[in-house]
Amino acid sequence: MNQPMLEDSPYLPKWAEITRIEQLTESEKLFELRLVSGEPLGHTPGQFVELSVMGIGEAPISVSSAPAENGVFELAIRKIGNLTTAIHGSVTGDRVGIRGPFGTHFPVEEAKGKDLLFVAGGIGLIPLRSFIRFVLDHRDDYGEVIVLFGAKNPSERIFLYELEQWGNREDIVYLDSVDKSGPGWQGNVGVITTLFSKIHVDPSRTFCIVVGPPVMYRFVILEAKAKGIPDRQIFLSLERKMKCGIGKCGHCQINHLYVCQDGPVFRYTDIFDLEEAL
Amino acid sequence: MEKPRVAFFDFASCEGCQLQVINLEEDLLKVLEAVDVVTFREAMKEHSDNYDIAFVEGAITRKSDEERLKGIRANAGVLVALGSCATLGGITCLKNFHDQEYVRKLVYGDKASHYETYPSRPLNAVVPVDFKIHGCPINRDEFAMVVKALLLGKNPEINNFPVCVECKMAENICVFEKGMTCMGPVTRAGCGACCVTEGSFCWGCRGLVDDPNADSQREVLATHGLSVQDILGSFRLYTGFSEVAK
Amino acid sequence: MELQLIEKSDHDLFVQNLINNYQVEGVKPKDGSFIYGSIKAPEELCLDFDCTLISPKKYFLPPKEALLQFALTPDSEITPLIENDPFILFGVHPYDIKAINQMDRIFARGVPDPHYLQRREAALVIGVDPTAVAPRSFWADMGASTVSEGFDLMFTDMGEHFIVEIGTNRGRNLLEEHAKLKPATTDDARERVRIRSRISHICKKRGFAFPKRDIPKLLEHSWNNFLWEEQASKCLSCGTCNIVCPTCYCFDVEDHVDLDLAHGERIRRWDGCLLQDFAAVATGENFRETRASRYRHRFFRKGHYLFEILDDLACVGCGRCASGCLPDIADPVNLFNKLKEG
Repeated sequence: MNQPMLEDSPYLPKWAEITRIEQLTESEKLFELRLVSGEPLGHTPGQFVELSVMGIGEAPISVSSAPAENGVFELAIRKIGNLTTAIHGSVTGDRVGIRGPFGTHFPVEEAKGKDLLFVAGGIGLIPLRSFIRFVLDHRDDYGEVIVLFGAKNPSERIFLYELEQWGNREDIVYLDSVDKSGPGWQGNVGVITTLFSKIHVDPSRTFCIVVGPPVMYRFVILEAKAKGIPDRQIFLSLERKMKCGIGKCGHCQINHLYVCQDGPVFRYTDIFDLEEAL
Repeated sequence: MEKPRVAFFDFASCEGCQLQVINLEEDLLKVLEAVDVVTFREAMKEHSDNYDIAFVEGAITRKSDEERLKGIRANAGVLVALGSCATLGGITCLKNFHDQEYVRKLVYGDKASHYETYPSRPLNAVVPVDFKIHGCPINRDEFAMVVKALLLGKNPEINNFPVCVECKMAENICVFEKGMTCMGPVTRAGCGACCVTEGSFCWGCRGLVDDPNADSQREVLATHGLSVQDILGSFRLYTGFSEVAK
Repeated sequence: MELQLIEKSDHDLFVQNLINNYQVEGVKPKDGSFIYGSIKAPEELCLDFDCTLISPKKYFLPPKEALLQFALTPDSEITPLIENDPFILFGVHPYDIKAINQMDRIFARGVPDPHYLQRREAALVIGVDPTAVAPRSFWADMGASTVSEGFDLMFTDMGEHFIVEIGTNRGRNLLEEHAKLKPATTDDARERVRIRSRISHICKKRGFAFPKRDIPKLLEHSWNNFLWEEQASKCLSCGTCNIVCPTCYCFDVEDHVDLDLAHGERIRRWDGCLLQDFAAVATGENFRETRASRYRHRFFRKGHYLFEILDDLACVGCGRCASGCLPDIADPVNLFNKLKEG
């Protein structure tokens, strides 16, 4: 048997340095990181990393930035458990562990020359932003672009500055909504599916990319299908418990698929009939 | 960084859980390097009301205890319940199934009128409790784990799976196969199944897991010969304060 | 196939030689059952057992295992850990070898896991044919009466002597160096076949009322069967079926820090898909919240999901889950037969 060396342990993180921290909302921060080795992370939009604070633990986090030439990458993190609380307490210059990138990615190549309909619910915008920014960085490679974003309430909207920018751009359509209005909110109120009546797509050339809380998928997929978008052009990203990132620990299993390896990004046709997937 | 100030308190209990802390021995010395213990009646004379973390042993069995506990809660940034009397009410709640006047006379005899009493309850029936270290007595390793977690600024991760997991890992023969009965299938792990490993059975001292299948456990106990009264007793021994035992 | 013969009277010498040169782990009696443990003297080693409490997977995937060692100071080195000293695992039944073979494939496929694989490589596995069948075993029906690989040596108790099949060169070297051997004749080989089929026949009393290759298909049509709910209503979510199972390998990963708060280890420990929080994430979502969904998952994993990966059922018929389950709902034979009935 050809033995893999222990130095190649898939559980061994690489050090990354926090180069910038931005408070996004009360409970979310954006961390810009750079691998200490100087190498780029090498991710494609839609992939995730396992983030470590040694002594606290490890958790899967989606990469929120498009691949960048200067080697930095961004993780937007909600403070919710021990690991995320620990990272929220860190400052610029601190070091964290990174494993990955892991998993499948959005159809960045396949969708070239085609139209894109992005549908993000809540912090589903975090992984989706990676692809949106990639598309905006390579705007000429893609056709029409529509971004729909829904949040529970105005205070849970993240990346506000960028949302405003997207709203002002002539070359994309950006629409958003909140389930429940709040102080100062003058935009749409209603669940994200209510935005579908406001858009027009050319279904045969549209790729619909959906990321949001589990409960959202069924309803958004119905809307996408109602627009005539073919099933195989619908992509979604699934959340599951993931400990190893390499298809071993068993937590993320859906049927014979491991979300950490076979996902998190799935083509709808590959999972629509899988029990427990949606 | 300034060391966190730690205080120990007790209410109705045998003080065995604090003894477990003292029994950490070498490890205790390491813990002491990381914290300042300002109050620990069982181990030292000094006392202070200025503390960050309070470990509180014992159940609340009389009205006048409530004020003292509320005072501790007000002083402490973090309040940790220590042992099953504090976390569950534990065996002190056995008295709740009797007439309180009867219990008072049974314990204090002709001096009963000098002592107040009321149905026993865990700390969180009186004040908010941040973390619970279960057990009768507590498990020293788990205590150390909680202290370390608090010092690292993280929430201690208390197990939510039954003792069976640790018991199987310890490669014990199932208690039921030995002709005894056991509360392990519904009891929160963290003890390493120490009682079964030592030849006894699980008494349920760490309380029930978050979602115990009490009906199935009752059926298993009945199948293994326990009467309805015995089954109730098994649940009441440590978790008499919970709904399951009523 | 190469067979050798060791007289019973020479067997203790062989074991003693192994003990003198290696760490030897083997089967020992415990409270009327059997466990794997360290063997310090030949008479401690038991080769006539029906089934052990937990499977020998604990040697390759320990219940708790440090993966990494680290210091909490920034920039410090993170060191992968492993104990891969050579050892001999003496007395593994074919069904457990079959399970180990499956685990080998799981931990080698895709991104290989050196922590598992190096432990596995460090072990010399000496198999032994069962001389007794545990009451709930059904390994014969699972095609696990014999295995053709996964062992360095395979012992069969022939009464006066053992027949030893050589599985690998490592096994041959071990045998030639430490045992007093006699050549086995074709008669011995025939006798071994007879003995094996006799014990297999006893085991066959338990099994499926239909061909086991139909199990994946059966499951495909059983997702909404009432049995999941009905059986799982008795499930204690105690994880016993997971812990004792030789083909369960799910694990959790967590950090443990020393009391000096300066050093720590990242450890993995066995997890179980029957446990309440198995599929729960930090946001509070639990992707398998009900007992029934967890109970069903286990059978689908053994009989369907892993089948698609291994092209084999991930159950070897040891029956440990069945004998360990207090409400007696974990037995694959009972469950699959009931499902088949409809």
